[in-house]
Amino acid sequence: MDWRALSVSLWLGVGTVILLLPCGVWLGHALAARHFRGKGLVEALVAVPLILPPTVLGFYLLVAFGARSPLGAAFQSVAGQALAFSFPGLLLASAIANIPFVVQPIQRSFEAIPPDVRDAAACCGLTPWQRFVQIEVPLAWPGILTAAILAFAHTLGEFGVVLMVGGNIPGETRTLSIAIYDRMQAFDDRSAGLMAAVLLAVAVITLTITTVLGRRVGRRRG
Amino acid sequence: MRLPFLRSRLRRGVAVAVLTVGLPAFAQAQRAPIIAAAADLNVALTEIADRFAREQGQRVELVFGSSGTLARQIRDGAPFELFLCADEEFVEQLAGAALTRDRGTLYGTGRVVLFAPHGSPLVPSEGLDGLAKLIASGRVTRFAIANPEHAPYGRAAEAALRKRGLWESLRPKLVLGENVAQAAQFATTGNAVGGIIAYSLALSPNLQARGTFTLIPEADHSPLRQRMVLLTRAGRVAEQFYQYIQQPAARAILERYGFVVPQR
Amino acid sequence: MLRVSLRHTDPIPLDVAFTCGPGEVLAIFGPSGSGKTTILRSIAGLFTPHEALVRCGSETWVDTASGITVPPHRRRVGLVFQEYALFPHLTALGNVMTALGHRPRAERRRRAEELLDLVHLSAHTQRRPAALSGGERQRVAVARALARDPAVLLLDEPFAAVDRAVRRRLQDQIDEVRQVLDVPLILVTHDFDDVVRLATHLLILERGVVLEAGPLQSLTNRPDLAWLREAIGLGSLIEATVARADASRGLVELAFDGGTLVAPVRSLAVGTRVRVRIPAREVILATDAPRGLSLHNVLLGSVTAIHSEPQLDEVVVQMAVGNARILAEVTRDAVAQLGIVEGSRLHALIKSVSLEVQPTLPLIVEGAESKTGRGRGGSSS
Repeated sequence: MDWRALSVSLWLGVGTVILLLPCGVWLGHALAARHFRGKGLVEALVAVPLILPPTVLGFYLLVAFGARSPLGAAFQSVAGQALAFSFPGLLLASAIANIPFVVQPIQRSFEAIPPDVRDAAACCGLTPWQRFVQIEVPLAWPGILTAAILAFAHTLGEFGVVLMVGGNIPGETRTLSIAIYDRMQAFDDRSAGLMAAVLLAVAVITLTITTVLGRRVGRRRG
Repeated sequence: MRLPFLRSRLRRGVAVAVLTVGLPAFAQAQRAPIIAAAADLNVALTEIADRFAREQGQRVELVFGSSGTLARQIRDGAPFELFLCADEEFVEQLAGAALTRDRGTLYGTGRVVLFAPHGSPLVPSEGLDGLAKLIASGRVTRFAIANPEHAPYGRAAEAALRKRGLWESLRPKLVLGENVAQAAQFATTGNAVGGIIAYSLALSPNLQARGTFTLIPEADHSPLRQRMVLLTRAGRVAEQFYQYIQQPAARAILERYGFVVPQR
Repeated sequence: MLRVSLRHTDPIPLDVAFTCGPGEVLAIFGPSGSGKTTILRSIAGLFTPHEALVRCGSETWVDTASGITVPPHRRRVGLVFQEYALFPHLTALGNVMTALGHRPRAERRRRAEELLDLVHLSAHTQRRPAALSGGERQRVAVARALARDPAVLLLDEPFAAVDRAVRRRLQDQIDEVRQVLDVPLILVTHDFDDVVRLATHLLILERGVVLEAGPLQSLTNRPDLAWLREAIGLGSLIEATVARADASRGLVELAFDGGTLVAPVRSLAVGTRVRVRIPAREVILATDAPRGLSLHNVLLGSVTAIHSEPQLDEVVVQMAVGNARILAEVTRDAVAQLGIVEGSRLHALIKSVSLEVQPTLPLIVEGAESKTGRGRGGSSS
């Protein structure tokens, strides 16, 4: 059992969610609330990582911030280490790959708020920010929770992008899913099986938590 | 209404922190050096590293892959300190790109074997002739080699097969491993009749238990001269390990795994 | 005093201008799609037409000509939505407290409880909207609108989603509220019953254009308004007070400015002010007072106007009975037979069961300060 790989996986999952959730809430709300020119384009861009094969995504990300790219070279001179093959780089790649998993459920849950309720909030004297915080976010939070869970679970399972952008650096970018692959190549089926079981258990637990929480919210809302 | 929401996420965050064992991934300083090695050293180098840790009290991290992939990663900025490559060409290229300290050292020459898992219709003792017969009778389902594009052992496999005139007929049946260790893995699963893999891997206890093999004559392919080189960011421990591999204890291990080590 | 002037082209055409004074209840009446809700939304600031001018007292809320637009959360407007639009995740108390942001924090809870008490919902303050009935939800919506200390109260089809029995109670509720507040109240509806029960002024809207506007009584007693015929059935509306109640006979005597009407109503106390609607079809005209008929109501008056449409066989005769106006719908032939002309002295015969009596609270007396804008000159006789 590669505890470090488990740690990397969990930190990657949590880090991705923490990084993406505020952006996702802002973007999801903006897409739900307004019709602006270019909205269709933004929505399409948001959806791209969904349909792109992970290796294509990984390739372009590596091109964008590998050591041979301007961004990667700049990061290297400032931070002293490469952006690719490091945890920060992996976190960035994971965040990009998870954008649709976060933005789309949040956007849908904001869209589900009846426009009358939003108008009523304005007529109650709430400023746009107060409306957002007191009315819209509490009503949309099942979607926000779903987005967090989806992104976390998807990150745990991510392989293609992680392998290409992160390599297989132990303790840094060797996630649990990579470690399983690694152990299989070393004919260590026992370790591989154990780690696979752990990933499965984490997936089941997170999904159970969401379902239970979701149902409790639903009951309260009536 | 937002408080319960926060509380449950907080609960999750705490649980995650508790579950997490080991260093947070951001810790860098005092980290063991990362050694990139060709996949044929999967078993041998692990043993050497364990001995190194026991004798000198220093740890190294090992990352295995195909030589070509690792070389590309080094070019893309991967934080390796020492690179053990399955051929010399990739090392030359890296040296040319000023990514290495020097041109490195030859640490051994590798061999390829014809391998078949137990119960396969392929009989390795009959050599490539036996494979030819099997192909002719149409009983070859799949045959595993490493990807010749970036794995030296794959190239050697291709050379040997071409020499015997078997390449074209076998080509549609090939399953390519990303590196020679993955090829070995494919060679032992039920679907492949066998494969051409590294001698060092065939000698490992795992594979010994799963099948039989025969050496393929060296003359059938260009030599697999394996070169290792310290990279520009190499630290003290990496240098120590580099030296250690050239010591008698490590050389003995390499020989045990079928490498022909150069005379000192 | 609320002053409104709106003009817009598409998708919803609109061209209206009106005022509404404190204590007045302006009913905006018209078919679906006529633009009624758009007017309310424009006043609230949820929509800005191409040309708009909305002034409430001394504040200008929107003036497209000078580029002024005050956002909805800064207008002191109480808006009760058609589907109530309550916040589903908050209790009734929470809903009302949301609109109390302009009050000091310490006061909010107490004030919210006061308002819910006003609408008779003290027992349910901790319930969420999902646990409330339609009528209870409407009352929470009203309390929430009132919490804003609004300068104008807007109601969008407030009784559309509830059944008749509940509607009566809710109408009474709004009337109670009207007494407590002294602000303009604008009510959008497509049900004339609401108009009759609550309104002091009426604005008829069709496809975004004002057909008629003015004080309620003067409008409903006009014989020439064909739309009334179609929408609600022609009739007259008379203010009266209960003069006597005879329980043994099950009748009440309603005194109005011109005489007395008798109606078979039991539950009214003496002194209650009421409005009586007399459907024009239920009025029989006679040159002489009849004898031996079951009628309780025989009123003497003189003809002030006769209105006929060329393609119809019915004619509407307007009669003055004292200061009140009564409409009668009769055939052209009858008019000819009786020789009815303007000035003829006739008796109006009305079955007491045909009278529609609604208790109500005092209206603005016609001829007082309130002006209502366009419309074919208020020919309030």
